[in-house]
Amino acid sequence: MDIKELDKTLLALVFLIFIIGLFCLYSASYSRNVEFGVNLIPKQLTWMAIGLVILVAVLLIDYQKIVDMGYFFYGLGLFALFLVLIFGHATLGAQRWFTIAGFNLQPSEFNKIVFIIMMASYLGHARAEIVNIKGLLVPLLLTAPPFILILAQPDLGTALILVPVLFAMLLVAGARPKHLIGFVLIGLISSPIFWNFLKAYQKKRLLVFLNPDIDPLGAGYTIIQSKIAIGSGGFFGKGWLAGTQNQLNFLPERHTDFIFSVIGEEWGFFGAMVLVGLYFLILKRGLIIIERTTDIYGRLVGAGILTMLGIQVFVNISMTIGLMPVVGLPLPLISYGGSSLWTTLIAVGLLLNVGMRRTRF
Amino acid sequence: MNPIKVISALLSFLFAVLVISLAYTQIVKNKKYVKLSMTNRIRLLPVEGTRGRIFDRNGALLVSSRTSFDAVVIPQELKMSVNTLSRLAQILGLAPEEVFKKVEKNYKAPFVPVAVREDVGKEKALVIEEESTVLPGVIIRVTPRREYKYGEAGSHILGYLGEIGEGELDRLRDYGYQLRDRIGKAGLEKNYDNYLRGEGGGMQLEVDNRGNFIKLLGKKDARYGRDLMLTIDMRLQEFIEAAMAGKTGACVVMEPYTGEVFALASKPDFDPGIFIDKEKSRERADLLSDPGRPMLNRAIAGLYPAGSVFKPVVAAAALEKKRIMPQGTLFCGGSYVLGGNSFDCWDEDGHGAQTVVEGIKNSCNVFFYQLGRMTGADDIYNYAARFGYGSPTGIDLREEAAGLLPSKAWKRSAKKEAWFEGDTLNFSIGQGNLLVTPIQVVRMTAALSNGGILIQPHLVKKIGDIEVSKGKSRDTGVSSRTLDIIKEGMRMVVEAPGGTGQRARVEGLRIAGKTGTAQSAGVSHAWFTGYSPIDNPRLAIVVFLEHGGKGGIDAAELAAKVFAEAKRIGLL
Repeated sequence: MDIKELDKTLLALVFLIFIIGLFCLYSASYSRNVEFGVNLIPKQLTWMAIGLVILVAVLLIDYQKIVDMGYFFYGLGLFALFLVLIFGHATLGAQRWFTIAGFNLQPSEFNKIVFIIMMASYLGHARAEIVNIKGLLVPLLLTAPPFILILAQPDLGTALILVPVLFAMLLVAGARPKHLIGFVLIGLISSPIFWNFLKAYQKKRLLVFLNPDIDPLGAGYTIIQSKIAIGSGGFFGKGWLAGTQNQLNFLPERHTDFIFSVIGEEWGFFGAMVLVGLYFLILKRGLIIIERTTDIYGRLVGAGILTMLGIQVFVNISMTIGLMPVVGLPLPLISYGGSSLWTTLIAVGLLLNVGMRRTRF
Repeated sequence: MNPIKVISALLSFLFAVLVISLAYTQIVKNKKYVKLSMTNRIRLLPVEGTRGRIFDRNGALLVSSRTSFDAVVIPQELKMSVNTLSRLAQILGLAPEEVFKKVEKNYKAPFVPVAVREDVGKEKALVIEEESTVLPGVIIRVTPRREYKYGEAGSHILGYLGEIGEGELDRLRDYGYQLRDRIGKAGLEKNYDNYLRGEGGGMQLEVDNRGNFIKLLGKKDARYGRDLMLTIDMRLQEFIEAAMAGKTGACVVMEPYTGEVFALASKPDFDPGIFIDKEKSRERADLLSDPGRPMLNRAIAGLYPAGSVFKPVVAAAALEKKRIMPQGTLFCGGSYVLGGNSFDCWDEDGHGAQTVVEGIKNSCNVFFYQLGRMTGADDIYNYAARFGYGSPTGIDLREEAAGLLPSKAWKRSAKKEAWFEGDTLNFSIGQGNLLVTPIQVVRMTAALSNGGILIQPHLVKKIGDIEVSKGKSRDTGVSSRTLDIIKEGMRMVVEAPGGTGQRARVEGLRIAGKTGTAQSAGVSHAWFTGYSPIDNPRLAIVVFLEHGGKGGIDAAELAAKVFAEAKRIGLL
């Protein structure tokens, strides 16, 4: 371990985005008609404080050791997903939460990172097998349990994000691109079959994505209002605390999944570009770390994490402007919520960890 | 292929998609979304402007906008509280269910007040104000309410108000009219609507996602409309309407030089107040379906055969065209034969040889048959047009009709028939296809009396403080010599023994006139038109009674009463 190798730029970018997020959260909960009983800022700061302790803890342990414990975490994660299905709290028709000491915990969030660690652990040993198409069966079977349990909550967005993460890791592990493309095509062709497994509200969301006007006051309301908010922001935005869509409560879920609407409305295209640019810089720093890393486990973990973060940012922003259906994914480091923040910080910690220890081999 | 490069490229591609999509949404489509966000949050609450008042020429208030107290609720604050609504119902003397229904039915948005009852009266309004702390969401809204002080009197002049129609709105939107505006639907209320209407003010409110009021963004105070002062003398107007009670017809009294209308009555009539009260829809429907057509302003829009009041026009044409000398006579033997048909004079014994003056005095049909044929239909048409027949007088009421002045060309195109000599005979005594309005007749009389100037009748003297100009007048081109002959005939109609209009005589007044008995299906229409004093006329009149029999009887008598009243109040 070499503390000089710690990517301080990456860490600075994380803090910068978090601080921007605090301003947005403040604005989102500022309006006089707030539905939230408490101010979100102290709570989010508490999450951050604990999250930083976790990040430091992750940094201190060699990522190799963490990867070695991949199956243990995997078992633990599945157990938590199982428990939440039985005992968890339901919000918005989905059973995702545990409440511990007044804080809500969302096991599906942590399972994303657990999945990456576990998959790195498997693929690092199985590089010879996965060149074969039969060899891809095991990774797929390992993906199925968390995927199904998360889908059962139901949390379509989090479940689906496992797919690109898996593919990215397979690619890094040496799977044949043509096999992967084949799987993608099969998935697309068979997607009508999965339609039948979706819950009614999920079907509605997908239909509304195709045409928000079919239900402008119901399922389409969020998309329409979010687009109005972002679109009316213009180039420089309406100013902090001055977004009418936000302050007058036209935006639902604006402190969690739809917080980007607040940014788009109050900070405009300019602010959105700054934020998107910062995320992109994080990805770029991450890619540099992976490229410099020769250890396959480090490369696998890094690729999984970058794909997870990148896809999540893309899907979240896309759904606020109607580019993708509403699937319920938080915006990393900005959306309110401890599970999401901790997961992102653990991911960043692992990435930094890889970067610090890459020179060993 | 380096897998890290592939992942990097894919992620870069996704971020490029984000940048382009955001640019499209926030910059290209910005205007659209700004507009949508505005409509999301801004609501307009119009406040009615107070309509201008209407006074008569002496300053008597005819129409006002008094203060009305409406009991209204604001749903946002009311929250459909049963206690509040029950108490409100109790104060208003209504059943609680009725109040509930009314609020539910008229609900538009949380901040838009719903009227539970309009014009509740001052006492109830005071009770509600006093209990305002225990009646959250109930307020007394003060609105202007049109009040027609004289009821039905002058209703055809004043007109009435109604909610703006779709077509009107399309036409007038650019002038600031809005949905649910009250607008003049007839009479002066209609013609002067843009002066009378107060400039509506309004409040611009910011609302949240539930439509709850957040803050006041802007306010524009409502403004008063402009007052009108009419040329009408309400004393004379009321007198005439009382004298005509139960009759069907019209009467117009006018200053013959300026065209100022002193009185303009049409019977039957209506109460304009019925159109104000929302609860009087039954009465409104009854008015519109009444076979007596009380909504028709007969003085300006009723089309009738002129009968003998048209004869001065024929005389003017003949004299001007020198078809007859002032001393020249034509013989009446009681009937006139044309093409095997006999056309009778009203006096079977005949009037003997008559000059033009005598022909007018006796209203002799046979005299005018011959005179008309000598003059020819074309010249009668020309002079009738000079005296304003066949076109509206231009009085400041929109309902005016043009009438019908037949000509050879008209008959060819409208009836696909040639003009026959019989048509000329009918034309000569004001019958046939000729249709006139009472206001056209009084304008002709004014022109005969004032030296041949055709004036434009008008009803409004002042708008606000501004004097309204007299309007257009036009010379008929008829010589004073001709006019003198006709006027002498009209003098004798009233003053000479045997004149047809002797019943129009008034002690102490010198009056000239012309009677008319216009044939129609059933009982004849009765006409009388005249002016006074003879030498320096100050007043011209027309009386028309639908199916009123002979013009020399009721119509002339009514004219006499009007002249006498005009004298009593100082107009003569």
